[in-house]
Amino acid sequence: MLSIKNLTASINGTPVLKGIDLEIKAGEIHAIMGPNGSGKSTLGKVLAGHPAYEVTGGEVLFEGRDLFSLAADERARAGLFMGFQHPIEVPGVSNASFLRLAYNKKAEAEGRDELDPLEFDDFIHEKIKLVAMREEFLDRSLNEGFSGGEKKRNEILQMAVLEPKLAILDELDSGLDIDALRVLGDAVNRLQRPDRALLIITHFPRILETIQPHYVHVLSGGRILKSSGKELALELEERGYDWVLEASAAGGAR
Amino acid sequence: MTSMVAGSNLLVDLLSGPRPAEWAPLRAAAEARLEGRDLPTTRDEAWRYTDLKALAAIPFGAAPRATVDISCHLLPEMVGTRQVFVNGHHAPHASCASAVPAGVRFLPMSTASEACHALGSVKNGATPELFEDLNSARFEDGAVLLVPKNLRVALPLHLLFITKAEAPVAVFPRVLVVLEPGAELELVEEHLGEGTYLSCPVVEVRLGEGAILRHERVQREAPEAFHIGTLKAEVGRHAQYHSRTLSFGARCSRQHPWVRLAEGAEGTLDGLALLDGQQVADTHSFMHHAEPDAVSHQLHKCIVDGKARAIFNGQVRVAPGAQGTDARQQSRNLLLSETARVDTKPQLEIYADDVKCSHGAAVGQLDPEELFYLESRGLNADDARNLLTYGFAADVLQRVPVASLRRTLRQLVMARTQATSLGELA
Repeated sequence: MLSIKNLTASINGTPVLKGIDLEIKAGEIHAIMGPNGSGKSTLGKVLAGHPAYEVTGGEVLFEGRDLFSLAADERARAGLFMGFQHPIEVPGVSNASFLRLAYNKKAEAEGRDELDPLEFDDFIHEKIKLVAMREEFLDRSLNEGFSGGEKKRNEILQMAVLEPKLAILDELDSGLDIDALRVLGDAVNRLQRPDRALLIITHFPRILETIQPHYVHVLSGGRILKSSGKELALELEERGYDWVLEASAAGGAR
Repeated sequence: MTSMVAGSNLLVDLLSGPRPAEWAPLRAAAEARLEGRDLPTTRDEAWRYTDLKALAAIPFGAAPRATVDISCHLLPEMVGTRQVFVNGHHAPHASCASAVPAGVRFLPMSTASEACHALGSVKNGATPELFEDLNSARFEDGAVLLVPKNLRVALPLHLLFITKAEAPVAVFPRVLVVLEPGAELELVEEHLGEGTYLSCPVVEVRLGEGAILRHERVQREAPEAFHIGTLKAEVGRHAQYHSRTLSFGARCSRQHPWVRLAEGAEGTLDGLALLDGQQVADTHSFMHHAEPDAVSHQLHKCIVDGKARAIFNGQVRVAPGAQGTDARQQSRNLLLSETARVDTKPQLEIYADDVKCSHGAAVGQLDPEELFYLESRGLNADDARNLLTYGFAADVLQRVPVASLRRTLRQLVMARTQATSLGELA
């Protein structure tokens, strides 16, 4: 589904990604872990098309298409979704209106019927149950005055509405208490299907207890230093990141 | 055609206007002050950015009586609580006060003799601005609204001022609102029209102890119109005055809201201006914390496109002894073109020590992070820009209490922010 080859990217002329290789197939869940400043959030933003980052080399294919030939909105309509670490507040636009607009833009792109406000109302009421969101959050302005946890809940609601093929979730666990993390983790699991894939970006292994990855990658200094099965997450929980970094420096971690 | 406000003919023309006897003292005082005065120029500090040369060049005449079809301006919540004025004259056939609750006096000034002594009684301590004096000297009719003690009026009231100018005319709407202690009311004041004209309204508000007035003000004058308005609100102890001024129309508009807060009172002066082309919208506000423990909020937003220009000057005065004051002011401006311009200036005068005063001003373009967020959800760049612009404006409309008005205003904002392609937005 996603094939990343020797991807390099920079921001303001400073290289941040220094050669990433990663293959994600349909049905798979991958976790990218790493210390702060390792470049893992950058990877998510580059894939989603953030304008501040410049792709300086390499290739990314998303379902066989050159990802970088698509603008951010085209990527979204093609089925790529990124859950933001810090979702943006948009005053004056109700959450429900925004969700319906996003839904209809995608439906239009896929040649499906758009939903009118009444139809969407039924649709969204099923979706909010999945993330245990209170109804009042639909009428409030998009993310405005939401707590950190409520914003994350809203990100997963958007994911549930847009039903992406590939969802990249950047630090979903930050700002969430343990109960909310479980609710959202379960929701993400329920959205996962054999024809979809997930890329979880996280600093802490805790979220991976709920959303269990098939593969765990350690990213540091803009490179993937180590890739392994989910047991790597447990090892990182016990031992931290230093041993991976040290082993990599000694040339033996891969 | 006589010229009513231009140049040296100012006073001569004013003296020829109608002079109902009840208003004689108010008129005489205004006329005395007007003698020898001329229109302000950009050399006057308060008018530095708003050039009235174009106004001075137009020979405005007196506005004749006219009939207009108001059906498209009626709002369902207020069909039975409306007073309509056309070209400054009361329009009895367009008005309907059948649903106004007993005890509330809501009627044209020309028939409300009991209220006339109160006109001009809301004094801001300063010499009235020239345009306020022009109104006092020249108004022919207006609305009086009196709400008795402890009456909470459930239905909103609608004041509609329409100007229909075949040749250039000047109109001087006058409004007096008095809420006795404990009374509560929502008032919608709307100004619109067609043709070339000057609308120069003066609204006086007096709130008794604990009274609450929510005042929505909509300026959607014709594209060739001038609108120079004065608002004076005296807010009694623990009373609340909340106003929102929405400026969409007029080639040149100027608002002078002045609010005086007594002990424990609360005042809101929110504003939104949507400007394009060569439009100018100027707001010079004055929030006066005269006594302790009053709270004030001001959020003034402008969206400026084309070669338009927005001006905001927000004066806040905390009088000596007005301890416990909490005054907040925000001026936020969105520039949509390279040639649009905003001049914003807070002006704080604080003469007490135990006060909280905050102010902020921001002028800028849309935030790239916000645009990216929307684009990452599948909205193309244009839709994302239009949605953010719409949201910036619609934010101010969220708390408009009358549902049909809120819808109308949202549609107006959608049309002006090219957001109509986005479908229905709430």
